[in-house]
Parts: sequence; structure tokens; C-alpha cells
Amino acid sequence: MSRALYPLASLEQVEKSPSREDGIPADLEEDLRAYGCKLIHQAGILLKQKQVAVATAQILFQRFWFVTSMKQFGIGDVGMGALYLASKLEECPLRMRDLINVYDLLLQRAAHAPPSGDFRYAPMSYFGNAFYDLKDALVVAEMQVLKRLGFDVHVVLPYGTLVNYMRLLDLTGREDAVSRAWGYLNDALQTPVYALYPVPTIVSAAILLATRHLHIALPSTPPNCWWELFDAEWDDVWSVCGYVMRLYRTRSAEDEERVKGMLTKKDVRRWLEEHGDR
Amino acid sequence: MSHLAESSTPSRKRSRWEQTLDDADEQLLQARESLPPKRRSKSKTQASRLADSSHTPPLPTGPLAKPLVPSARPRHSIYAPPRILYPSFRPARSVYNYERLNQIEEGSYGVVFRARDKQTGDIVALKKLKLDEEKHGFPITALREVNALMACRHENVVNIREVVVGDTLTQVFVVMDFIEHDLKTLITLMPAPFLQSEIKTLMLQLLSAVSHCHYHWILHRDLKTSNLLMNNRGTIKVADFGLARRYGDPVGVGGLTQLVVTLWYRAPEILLGATTYSTAIDIWSVGCIFAELLLKEPLFQAKSELELISMIFKLLGPPTSSSWPDYTTLPLAKSITLPPQQPHGAALRQRFPYLTNAGLDLLSKMLTYDPEQRITAEEAMQHPYFKESPLPKHPDLFGSFPSAAAGEKRRKPFDSPSAPQRLADYKLITEFDLP
Ligand SMILES: Nc1ncnc2c1ncn2[C@@H]1O[C@H](COP(=O)(O)OP(=O)(O)OP(=O)(O)O)[C@@H](O)[C@H]1O
Ligand SMILES: [Mg+2]
Repeated sequence: MSRALYPLASLEQVEKSPSREDGIPADLEEDLRAYGCKLIHQAGILLKQKQVAVATAQILFQRFWFVTSMKQFGIGDVGMGALYLASKLEECPLRMRDLINVYDLLLQRAAHAPPSGDFRYAPMSYFGNAFYDLKDALVVAEMQVLKRLGFDVHVVLPYGTLVNYMRLLDLTGREDAVSRAWGYLNDALQTPVYALYPVPTIVSAAILLATRHLHIALPSTPPNCWWELFDAEWDDVWSVCGYVMRLYRTRSAEDEERVKGMLTKKDVRRWLEEHGDR
Repeated sequence: MSHLAESSTPSRKRSRWEQTLDDADEQLLQARESLPPKRRSKSKTQASRLADSSHTPPLPTGPLAKPLVPSARPRHSIYAPPRILYPSFRPARSVYNYERLNQIEEGSYGVVFRARDKQTGDIVALKKLKLDEEKHGFPITALREVNALMACRHENVVNIREVVVGDTLTQVFVVMDFIEHDLKTLITLMPAPFLQSEIKTLMLQLLSAVSHCHYHWILHRDLKTSNLLMNNRGTIKVADFGLARRYGDPVGVGGLTQLVVTLWYRAPEILLGATTYSTAIDIWSVGCIFAELLLKEPLFQAKSELELISMIFKLLGPPTSSSWPDYTTLPLAKSITLPPQQPHGAALRQRFPYLTNAGLDLLSKMLTYDPEQRITAEEAMQHPYFKESPLPKHPDLFGSFPSAAAGEKRRKPFDSPSAPQRLADYKLITEFDLP
């Protein structure tokens, strides 16, 4: 028997997201997922962590919200736990203290940075409560990610597949297309698609977006559709494109601020009390 | 990245896999199968196969590359199975789904219990992972163990059923099929050694498991007879992936630690301080196991690393510039005085007087000094030893043995040293491997 397949959300998990069941509107959940992934990405950069670990963390983070409500765990804590865990999975473990410091900085910056003007970070003391609180939160979050995903943390990243597909489509010469598609794959990490669709579908979507943008023509009329070469279904490919494109829509200042005020479960609960009708 | 002018946001319409899931039943799948394949040409199949070889290591041929989908589905290549076959996210269940029976053994790393699945009545083995007082969250070694077991599913690898949790964050149990015996106990309790035909069967099974692990980029790193379980149907199951780890990643894997593999089964390159090593270390262990099956006792029962090195040199002759070109570059090589050369293969032949030439050839290919020249698991399975008489015995014809694990406490046979201080190993990995 071959290696077991990586898990993807079931239809029921797609339709009944625990956060929505708790009254968090779908668009808010979408924004919080994306923001949590951005934090993971920024933490990864500050920690000079390997891209594979960061991407793995983002995918685990996205999976987590198909089995857990944001009312129960904050996106900050879970992102931190996912990055800690993914770094072990990718054999590049992080020092707990470094990770906590970086997340503390990112969370403070999100919470207090005025839209304009400079933000001064007040580093915390290693013996203060803040450090121990975050440390506890980190350990709990890492364990929760494992537990709620049933310890199946098998992740397949899309980059190797992209390189293969580009070769098959005879596009390796088009560096602009390769790097653009690569960029879409990275941007897609801020969306739930890696928890929803198999890798070939996501890679096909990235290629579709890249080639359309660059006006590269590929066989697209039945019976010769290039994505069928990769066993991707058009509807699925198109849906992945939709998720990615939604990232680029212009957002109001309020929407952006709303997200930054909801990084912890306490914030989410407060928001639900103020806005909830259930 | 900028907005694309020509793509509008598509409606979130339910796509095909969701519909398939809607009425997720075999009938529908079968109905789809019986339809004439939609616009699929031969070249497309080939291209798709090629297309996604990055998913899996680049070895799409051979006995291991069985398709994921049992019956050939015309619409999908083996690298892109239908959406419906992907498992969903399933939170870990509670350990209270199992009724605890008896404790099997306390290893250096966890406690193993026999238990009964309350729903199905199945007898299983629960291995409690040691998590208390972890300063680094969930131990990386435990993660590797669970991942390796999930990654290496195979007829001859102990089957992991799930991971369950207890009441507190420190209670995590790996649930495996319960396997009646371990090979070490069997060997000691058996009145007579295994027959050649049985040894061939066991070795083929072991090699098949090891080659499968290597194919999936997993090194076991602690192969020894006490980590090989065997059921009453003559089937070996490789267990204890507590030291396993991924190797050969193009990205991601830092330096490998030297503290691996229980002493008696440890390859010479590790003994001599190599920091990069690979699948060949598992093969050395397999060679030691082969010898143990033949001798009915461990091949190198050394008390220290130095003693082990000298035992190896005595049995195989000291390494030469042709048998091990890199020998002199190894960190500890300078501190070792080589014994005088001896007639090639004489000591080995003396130690195994009844083994056929083919058998001896296979053994010496597994116990080859140079890891580059050492035989691979896949090659070993093709060795003439397995094709000469007596042929491998069918597993069903193995006698059955009373299980020590199921009832009576197991006797400790020879006191084999346990895996190299796992704690120390763990510290090495977590504290010194940091970027
Ligand atoms: N699935 C199983 N079925 C039956 N017995 C098992 C099973 N798994 C483990 N055991 C028994 O428990 C013992 C210890 O298990 P394992 O080797 O996995 O743990 P460990 O703590 O890593 O051990 P050690 O450090 O002693 O090698 C095995 O030698 C075997 O006797
Ligand atoms: Mg063991």
C-alpha cells in the first residue's frame, strides 16, 4: 500500500464551519483566517524560518478551523502553535522563546499600531506574566492542533508539482509565468484551499491565473483542455481561483481594523456579545 | 500580486466533488466507472503519471508502486485520486474507547498495554507516549514516530489505527494492531533455530518493509529483533519508530544526530562518527538481524563502542582503501589502530559454516563497510539466496507460538542494551540542532 492521502475537509465540514455555527459571519471568518496566516508568514520572516515550515503551518492552521471555532481559540495562539509544530515536522525546530517574542511583537503591533505614525514595541520580561501566559498558550495551541486533527499532520506542498506541470506544459522557459504561478500558490496559503482541494487542482488554478494574466494561450477547448492532463476539474480549479482573487479585492479601513481587534478568543467573544443575535 | 482584469470572482457554486460526496456511495462511483472514459487518450494517462511525480519519490516502477485506487479508475491517474478518497479531518478520540487489559512492557520511551476496542472487540496495543515535563512542547521524537507510522503503512509494518488522548494534555496513546510476539523473545524461547526456508520468508518481509520505508524517505534507525513483531501467521511487523526520521529532503533536514541505533546493530559509519548517513545504516542492522536469525543469538554482543568496532573488524577484516574509500575521512578513524589484514571472508565463513555461498554473499553485502557499496533493500530482495533451494516457506506453514505479550510476563532474554538514551538523543535534537 502506498502512503495514506493527506486529509481534506468533508462536505459537512465545509458547510458547517464551527465558527459560523458560533455566530461568526462567513466573511469575518475568512478575514480572520487570512490574517492569522499573514501573522504566521510575518513571524516566519522575522524568525528567518524555512518557507516549507511556514507553508506547512499555514495549511495546518487552515485545517484547524474546520474542526474548531474561533470563539474557542484565538487565531494568534493557534498560528503560533501551528508554526511551532510545523517547524518540528520540517526538522527545523524553533526556540520557544524566540517564537514567543516574535508573536508578542506582532500581536502588540496589530493591537496598538495607529494607522499612521510609528509604533514602539515594549519588549516583555522573561520572568513576567506575559511571557508565561504566551508560553502556556503556545503549548496548549500546539497540542490542540495535534489533537483536533487527530495527529494526522501530513501536508503536501505544491511547489514540486508546479515545476512538473510547467515542464509538461512546456512553460519552463517562461520564467515570468513560473514565478507568477509560484506567487499565487503562496498567496493561496492565506485561503482555505489547501484544506479543500487536492494539490493538482490548486496548482492548476495557479497556472490558470498566471497564464491568463500573461496572455499565454494554452489548449482550453474540449476535448483538449490542459487542466484535464492533471485530473483537475474545471469547476474546482475555478473555485480555487475565486478564493485567491478574493484576497486582492479592496477592503474598507473598517474591515481591516475589525480583524486586528479580534486576534484572541476574548476579543472574538466580546465582538459576538456586541454584534451577536444568538 | 495585482488584480486580474479578465477573471471575475466566480460564484461559489458547489463543484463536482461535493456533488459526488453528496451521494457518496459506491454505486455512483461504479456508475461513473462503467461510463466510457471521457476524452481520455493513452498519452494523457502517461502524461498525468509523469506529471505529478513530485508527490512521491521518483520511483514509479517496481512492486511498491501500486496504485492508490484498488480498481483502475479510468478518470484518474494514480497521482490524482478522486476527491472522495481523501480522509476528512478527524479529531483524536478518547482513550476511553478502549478497555485496558494487561501491560505488555515498559520500554525506554513509553509503556505498552494490551487493550480491547469497546466497539469492535478488537484486541489492540496502546503505546503511551512519554510527554510529561517536556520543556519543548510536544516531543519531536514522538511526532516523528507517529508520522513515520502513518507514512509507512505496509503489510510488514505494524499498523497504526489512530492516536487517542486521555484526560490531560500529557496522555497520548498510539493505537496499533496487537501483534502476539516479538522476534527476540521468539528466538530465545524457541527450542530450535528457524529453518532456512523460514529465515528467507522473514528476511523478505523485513526487506520489503525496510524498502517501503526508504521509498517514503523514512529511516527507521532502530532495527533490531526486539522491535520486530510477529503474528501467529508467520508475518513480521516492523515496530517502534521511536527513532525514525525523514531523510534526504531537498530542503529542511538539518544535521543528523549520531546517537542512533541500539549498539549491537549500529553501522560502522555511525560508530566512527559520520554525521551524514542514510538508508545504509538500516541495512547494516538488517544484516545483523539476518545473522541473529541464523545464529539464534545476536551477532555482535559488545559492551562498548570500541569493543563493537574490534568485533566487527575481527569478523570482516579491517577496512581497506578499496572496501571503504572514505574510511580515513571519518572523525574517529584516526584514533583507531587497525588489526592486520586476514584472508578475505575467512572469519565470516567460519562463523556461519552451514550457510550456502549465496546466503553468505548476501550477508556480506549487507555487512559491507562502505555505505555507498552496501546493498539496498530493494536489491537484496532480488538476491539469488531467495531463489535457491530451500525456497521461502509460506507464512501459513509457520508453527504458532504461545504469546508472551498476551498473558504471562515476558522473560527478559539476553539483556540487549536499549536504544541509545532517548532522552539524550532528544536533547541533542532539540537543543543543539537549532538553526
Ligand atoms: N503493536 C504491538 N503489539 C504487541 N506488542 C507490542 C506492540 N508494540 C509494542 N509492543 C511491545 O512493547 C515493547 C516496546 O514497544 P516499543 O519498542 O514500541 O517501545 P519503546 O519504548 O520504544 O521500546 P524500547 O526502547 O524498549 O525499544 C515491544 O518490544 C513489544 O514487546
Ligand atoms: Mg523497542
